[in-house]
Amino acid sequence: MAGMPGLEIQRRGEEEDIFDSTVHLEGSHFEQGFQDGFRDGVELGKVEGREVGLKTGFELGEEIGFFRGCVNIWNAVLQKDPSAFSARAQRNIRVFDQQLNNYPLKDPQDERLQDSLDSLRSKFRLIMSLLSIQLDYQGLAKVDHTEDSLF
Amino acid sequence: MDATAALPTSPSATKGVSLRLVQELEGHEDRVWGVAWRPCDGSSILASCSGDQTVRIWEHSSGSSPSSAAWVCKAVLDSSHNRTVRQISWSPNGNLLASASFDATIGMWEYVGNEFSFIASFEGHENEVKSVAWNSAGTLLATCSRDKSVWIWEVLPGHEFECVSVLNGHTQDVKMVLWHPSLDILVSTSYDNTIKIWTEEGDGDDWHCAQTLGPPGSGHTSTVWAASFNATGDCMVTCSDDLTLNIWDSSADLSSANDDDSAKWKHLATISGYHDRTIYSVNWSSLNDLIASGAGDDCIRIFSKSQDGDQEGSQSYELVQKHEKAHTADVNCVQWHPKNPRLLASAGDDGIVKIWEVVGDLPHV
Repeated sequence: MAGMPGLEIQRRGEEEDIFDSTVHLEGSHFEQGFQDGFRDGVELGKVEGREVGLKTGFELGEEIGFFRGCVNIWNAVLQKDPSAFSARAQRNIRVFDQQLNNYPLKDPQDERLQDSLDSLRSKFRLIMSLLSIQLDYQGLAKVDHTEDSLF
Repeated sequence: MDATAALPTSPSATKGVSLRLVQELEGHEDRVWGVAWRPCDGSSILASCSGDQTVRIWEHSSGSSPSSAAWVCKAVLDSSHNRTVRQISWSPNGNLLASASFDATIGMWEYVGNEFSFIASFEGHENEVKSVAWNSAGTLLATCSRDKSVWIWEVLPGHEFECVSVLNGHTQDVKMVLWHPSLDILVSTSYDNTIKIWTEEGDGDDWHCAQTLGPPGSGHTSTVWAASFNATGDCMVTCSDDLTLNIWDSSADLSSANDDDSAKWKHLATISGYHDRTIYSVNWSSLNDLIASGAGDDCIRIFSKSQDGDQEGSQSYELVQKHEKAHTADVNCVQWHPKNPRLLASAGDDGIVKIWEVVGDLPHV
């Protein structure tokens, strides 16, 4: 049947090798481009990933370090004056100290990473309340302040 | 503060119970978020809180029935907050009034010798505090906030307050906290569609989430705005943006070591099809066993447990009164009087506090 040129080409089989590369030109260019892009993407991804990892690791280290510094100071105060803080505050500082020591800092894949951090943050805010202090450290992660709620 | 004639009630009463408006209490300059009856002798004092940053105290003049229109504004408590006051709560002995504010603080007023004095302000939450509640013994205070946490405070001698625990668990804004009427069990409701039950483990400030009531299975499918226990605390009702009320069996002892169903609170019934706007408040009377709800369609509804079909393990509730246009805007809070089974107070976005009297045969009175 006098159909479209494409159809005729298909039926004639191997004789059309010379047209194959033309017909599949777009396809082969796509393939090539995809391979190039993928390769470049992997490289760039590694770089970005490293940057994000570095940033996140730094922030986490900074926060844990900040907590550690606070605990050290509180312990130093208690050594000088064991009655400086209430019994409840002291108990919580001890627990906080222990939680800090147990924090899986070396293992980024540890599942407990986020939950332990949330728990540490809560404990820290509890201690701040018990000691009646408000610390506003710049590096401290803050709750999203996008908009004050109205209801 | 003006006396207002009783408004005609809507013709939806199925059992001859209706709401008669006793009085409209005007004065607040912004929406009224909550009302709280002072819990002792006669309870002739009502507190209300508002977006106008104040708490108002209304008193009924002695000598006449509290269902007569003789309520006046006794005091305006201002200067303790610089943003909306979202909820107030009286201590069980009626001597202290705690206020939860969007300014992230909790305020404490002492009521002594007929005078109110501001005695403390405590900070801790990172942003808007949504609710404050006293336990039945008056020894613990709970607060919750948009910062997703629930805090428990201990009341120390000399009106000092010390934070006992900061509880995380909710993944969104926590709307309300409420204590069991006799046990130290805390309930919190949240924008994350769940209700969490918190108990103390052991003896050392160790609070944890004993159970979460929510999907999958049963529970609400949208923000849970409020909760209320019945008189004995063996049942609890919750209300939600999903337009339903849920009734829960709260009799199980959560401190039991069992991990099976006998140590869990269970869903008993869903009251649906009656509300077509968000239900913001629900309150279960400890006197007449009726459940009142306040919703975004300006109505106050009253539900009663059905007398028929009382099979084991199943309960059903029916609407006994739908009072339309209870306010000219959203009804934010409904609270039954603790001593008089016929009185109900409501707070609305229209800036008005209203006192209602239930007329008709009360089921358990």
